[in-house]
Amino acid sequence: MSAEFTIIKNGPVKITGKFVLTGSDGKHLSVEGEEVHLCRCGGSKNKPFCDGSHQSNGFKG
Amino acid sequence: MQVSISEQMEKGNRDYTNGEITVEWRPAKCVHATTCYRELIEVFNPRKRPWVNMKGASTDEIIKVVDKCPTQALRWYWNDEKKREEYEKQKVQQSRPELANEPIDEKPVKVTIMKDGPILLQGKFRIIGADGNELKTLSMTSLCRCGHSSTNPFCDGTHRRHGFRDDL
Repeated sequence: MSAEFTIIKNGPVKITGKFVLTGSDGKHLSVEGEEVHLCRCGGSKNKPFCDGSHQSNGFKG
Repeated sequence: MQVSISEQMEKGNRDYTNGEITVEWRPAKCVHATTCYRELIEVFNPRKRPWVNMKGASTDEIIKVVDKCPTQALRWYWNDEKKREEYEKQKVQQSRPELANEPIDEKPVKVTIMKDGPILLQGKFRIIGADGNELKTLSMTSLCRCGHSSTNPFCDGTHRRHGFRDDL
C-alpha cells in the first residue's frame, strides 16, 4: 500500500506514505513521503492545508 | 462497446449523441472531479437539463474532454462501426507499453486538489475513517473539502451548491 489517508474526527485528513500532491493550479505541492494534513471543513485560510479552523467553526464529520 | 448487466440496470445512465459520436454517462462512477464542466461548460453543464449538450462544441473538443474523465463515468465511441473498431484497435496498441511499468505498489498515490472542489485520490491506498476503522480500499475516490457533503468523508458534489472556493 503506497499511501494511507486517515480521516481525523471533526478535523482534517492526514496523508502518510508515498504520494504526490498537486494543487488546483496543476503545480506540485509537496515532495513524496511527506506527511500532510488537508482541510476538510472548508474554513482553512491556508487551503488546501489545515490551519486549525475546524476547531472554531464547529465542523462535524 | 460492452456494457455489463449491472451497468445497464443502474439508474440515471444516459447516452448522448451528435450523430458522429455517442457519449455515455454513468453517474454511479462519477467522483465529482469536475474536469468535464470546468473544461467544456458549453457541453457539460450540471445546471442544465439535459446536462450534456452535444451541439455545444465540435466532436474533437468533446472527445478531448471526455478522455480526461478520471473515472470513465463519461466515455465515448464513434457511431460508425468501422471507425469504432479502428479506434479500439489503436487504443489497445497505445496502452500496452504502459502496462509493463513498475509494480503498482511502488507508484506514489496521486493526490490532486480540484479547483473549488474535492481532493481526488488515484492509485493504491487505504482510507481510515474517523472511528479508526478502514473505510475502503480503492483505486480512485474523492474526498470532500467544502465541509458540506452528506456522504462525508467522500465528495457528493455539494460544493457547487455551497459555492465553495479555494480563495475564500
